[in-house]
Amino acid sequence: MSKKMVLVDTSKCTGCKACTVACKEWNELPAEKTQLLTSYQTMKEFTPKTWTYTTFTEKYEYPKMNWYIRKAQCFHCAEPACLKSCSSNAISKTDSGYVVIEQELCIGCGYCVDNCPFGVPKLDNSRKKAYKCTGCIDRVENNLTPACVQTCQPGCLEYGERETLLPQAKKRLSEVQKTHPKARIYGETEMGGTTFVYLLLDAPEVYGLPINPTTPLSLTIWKDIVRPVGGIAVGGAAAAVFVGVFGNVLRGAYREQAQEEKDAQKGGKR
Amino acid sequence: MTNSWSDLQNSEVFLIAGSNCAENHPIAMRWIHRAMEKGAKMIVVDPRFTRTASKADVFAQIRPGTDIAYLGAIIRYIIEEKLYDEDYIRNNTNSLHKLNKAYKFEEGVFSGFDPKTRKYSTGSWSYQLGADNLPLKANSLDDPDCVLSKLKEHYSRYTFETAEKITGIPAAKIKEIADTFCKARPGSILYALGMTQHTTGVQGIRTYAIIQLLLGNIGKAGGGINALRGEPNVQGSTDMANLFNNLPGYLPHPISTDKTLQDYLVRNGSVQEKPIVALLKAWFGENATKENDYCFNYIPKNNPATNAPMTKIFEFMEAGQFKLLFNFGSNSLVSIANRQLVRSALRKLDMMVVADLFEVETAQFWREPGVNPAEIQTEVIMFPAAFVYEKAGSLTNSARWIQWKDAAIKPLGEAKPDLDIVDELFKKIRELYKGSSEEKDAPILKARWDYGHDGEASALKVLQELSGYDETTGKLLPTLGDYLKAPVGSVSTGCWIYAGVTGNGNLAARRNNADPSGLGIYKDWTFAWPANIRILYNRASCDKQGQPLDPKRKLVWWDADKKVWAGNDGADVIDKAKGPDTPEGMQSFRMNPEGVGRLFTASFTSGLPTTPPPNGQPVMGVRPAGLCVDGPLPEFYEPTESPTVNLLHPNVSESPIAIVPSAFPEIQKRGRPEDYPYVLTTYALVEHFCAGGITRNIPWLNELMPEPFAEISKNLAQKIGAKEGDKVEVSSARGKVTVRCLVTDRLQTYKTNGKDTETIGMPWSWGFASLSPGPSTNDLTIASIDPGAGTPETKVCLVNIRRA
Repeated sequence: MSKKMVLVDTSKCTGCKACTVACKEWNELPAEKTQLLTSYQTMKEFTPKTWTYTTFTEKYEYPKMNWYIRKAQCFHCAEPACLKSCSSNAISKTDSGYVVIEQELCIGCGYCVDNCPFGVPKLDNSRKKAYKCTGCIDRVENNLTPACVQTCQPGCLEYGERETLLPQAKKRLSEVQKTHPKARIYGETEMGGTTFVYLLLDAPEVYGLPINPTTPLSLTIWKDIVRPVGGIAVGGAAAAVFVGVFGNVLRGAYREQAQEEKDAQKGGKR
Repeated sequence: MTNSWSDLQNSEVFLIAGSNCAENHPIAMRWIHRAMEKGAKMIVVDPRFTRTASKADVFAQIRPGTDIAYLGAIIRYIIEEKLYDEDYIRNNTNSLHKLNKAYKFEEGVFSGFDPKTRKYSTGSWSYQLGADNLPLKANSLDDPDCVLSKLKEHYSRYTFETAEKITGIPAAKIKEIADTFCKARPGSILYALGMTQHTTGVQGIRTYAIIQLLLGNIGKAGGGINALRGEPNVQGSTDMANLFNNLPGYLPHPISTDKTLQDYLVRNGSVQEKPIVALLKAWFGENATKENDYCFNYIPKNNPATNAPMTKIFEFMEAGQFKLLFNFGSNSLVSIANRQLVRSALRKLDMMVVADLFEVETAQFWREPGVNPAEIQTEVIMFPAAFVYEKAGSLTNSARWIQWKDAAIKPLGEAKPDLDIVDELFKKIRELYKGSSEEKDAPILKARWDYGHDGEASALKVLQELSGYDETTGKLLPTLGDYLKAPVGSVSTGCWIYAGVTGNGNLAARRNNADPSGLGIYKDWTFAWPANIRILYNRASCDKQGQPLDPKRKLVWWDADKKVWAGNDGADVIDKAKGPDTPEGMQSFRMNPEGVGRLFTASFTSGLPTTPPPNGQPVMGVRPAGLCVDGPLPEFYEPTESPTVNLLHPNVSESPIAIVPSAFPEIQKRGRPEDYPYVLTTYALVEHFCAGGITRNIPWLNELMPEPFAEISKNLAQKIGAKEGDKVEVSSARGKVTVRCLVTDRLQTYKTNGKDTETIGMPWSWGFASLSPGPSTNDLTIASIDPGAGTPETKVCLVNIRRA
């Protein structure tokens, strides 16, 4: 299948939250008990049972009021940190641009949860499995639009071929910039390019998104350099021990660093 | 709507005021966005910065209930700067009609006000008439007697600066709204309950009508006055006369002094003969004959002195007038302003029959916390009702599209469609009256009633009855035109505006989405009343020669070769064969007795004889004009509970004829600004629907919006020492509720007559029942009502607030 894209044009999103209901209905996910957190928002992060939700950011720039409303879901990165970090090959990527967790292979180690710069996958502690938005790959591969796109009321979400939709998004951006000069595209190159591409009306940190999302450096070192090298340089069991110890040290150190990186990148409370 | 949802894509500018369509009519945004992609601008005027406002180009925060103040300023601006479409107002409105010299507006009241009865007599709101009983017309728009001059004089008081003091919207912003809206044509005005739920609701909509007529936006693609109806089939409901003073098709309801059909026609004009006889034939069939006045006396007559919109019904109920209430799909215990009256009144019933999907609050009113069931004698019977997907029938949307749907699945258990419930009930009732020869029982026994077999009534048969039959042949009437041509008494229709919907098959079931004109007309998708005309008054989109004024928005035109009005839409003309230079072909507003749009709603009857009728017969005209009981021109009045005094006429601060129910002063209290200094406005949210009777029983929706709240400005939060998430107690003279506090910049402090004013916003969709119970905001609201439409003033009252 050719490379797909979903455009999330926040200049049109009215925060109706129908996308959340469609996702839950299609994926047979139960409702959660919630409280209002801030503005009209009831979810502060993803959960194993909530794979998409809406964030509401109020920004008053006298005399203009701005209400930035954004649908959050998995970005489906071209270079996904979750896939890289997975210790059981449970996460795979399709040519069409979808990153999918195969629950049967998932051992619930939680590495994907720790490494995603967007905080997407979440561990269900009782089942010891990680869950996230599937991109409705089951619908997409049967020539249907994703459930959220299908239901979007104001026409904020659009699904199609990346090679047509991305230029279309840029054209739309130049229109939007006439009234919102700080508007930009987010997801064109981030994480190698993401299937869910945003037209944001302001900087990513205003929406609680990382300015420059990356796969944590330590994970790259671990998976791309140390593990392969470690396997070759020292033979057999010794290699395994060396790699294991070194890897753990790195991972331990990484944990704190990653948290700091996350805090720095997310820029401000949401 | 004069236009439609899909027509919104044709607009150049939107004024969305009195509507939060992004939340309450989400699909509207899809069409609005198409227009905006082509460069259209959106203006939102609302007491709060809503989800709709988040997409607006221009936003203004307004003090609830003061819309007429800034709209009047826009009218003044249009007239003084000559921004009106001069050809349009000359040809299509009563701008040049000369008014009775006795007409006046002074000291806050119009001529004809009787302070004792608190009613207007409308004799002076009339035209100067010629010998032919037709209105005299001025030669110039500057003639001091003409309607336009009277408008100019009336709104000269509405300067931008005065409007700022009243509404809290800066004068420069009001001017920006005026410039943005007036200079882009066509412009569309969208409104909903934010405009109608006021004691001056009707007059608020009248200002929209005046603005759109002046700008020439009526009858044009992308223009119009578009009411966004509050429930999916409320348009269908009002078409079927769920308003107390109507019969189906908006026929006037007979009143107690209409002893005969003739009396009814003398009062309402001969134009009503055809539809009321057709209605009586539909209801009484062969039993309705010319000799018995078509069973006219079988229809109960209203007593205008005791006409009752919803709030007044509960006053009568509280006084013990009713023994039995049928409560179908209604949750008044949550939705009615000053709901304490409902709570008290329901116990006065001997019996209540509820039909609903869930045991909504009203269905179990005795279980409300604090209520002692042992004190209540009412017997409550609950019919489980089928849901929308479980029953066939038609649903008429805001755009007047009659949309047929089949049942997708069978109802669960014993649940039945309302039609089946009513059908079975009526048949059993008729059985009980069998054999009676009493005159009062005749309507029950002689009614034509044939919708199918027991327990499975056919909604299609109902729609066919509405569409109409040729009573001489028993065949369905093909079109509205056939109904109009037929002799009186030879046809039947249950609702004449629906004539033709099942004339050639069930046209309401059509789903052909071809749109050859690209204007979103969709002529072959369902069936719009009347006669599948999608954009009302569309003759006004043409010039005097009957050719479209706007090459990009061609709706209808006179085809000189075929000698007929043709077009992309059905032509809204009296006779399709009468050309643009004929008296019929000139009229764009054929339902008005003057044949033109009415800037000033004058008292006038067309077709009055110039010589007295023979044999002492009463005078009967053809069509009397529709009148507004509270004035021929909109005037700004303060809401019943207001933080301030009317700047324009402090001695007549509120509307002198607003209805403020006060039969039960212990329940129906009024608050003063000294005790309740803040303004409350109430509204719905996208996540829930109306009183929440259904939606608060859906866990996915409760997850999205789990609780009610009070939105307040940062200043007000600081003043009361509350932060986001704290509990606050909001109180009015009538009651108090404790909810979560939501602190936001979407509400700003504003100035009213120089004084700082705060608005508090609260959604009203919660009650004590369901999976997600919560306090009901209508404990706070006031039940004063618009004297014309009966809409309650739920949108504005006075409250106080403190940390709980």
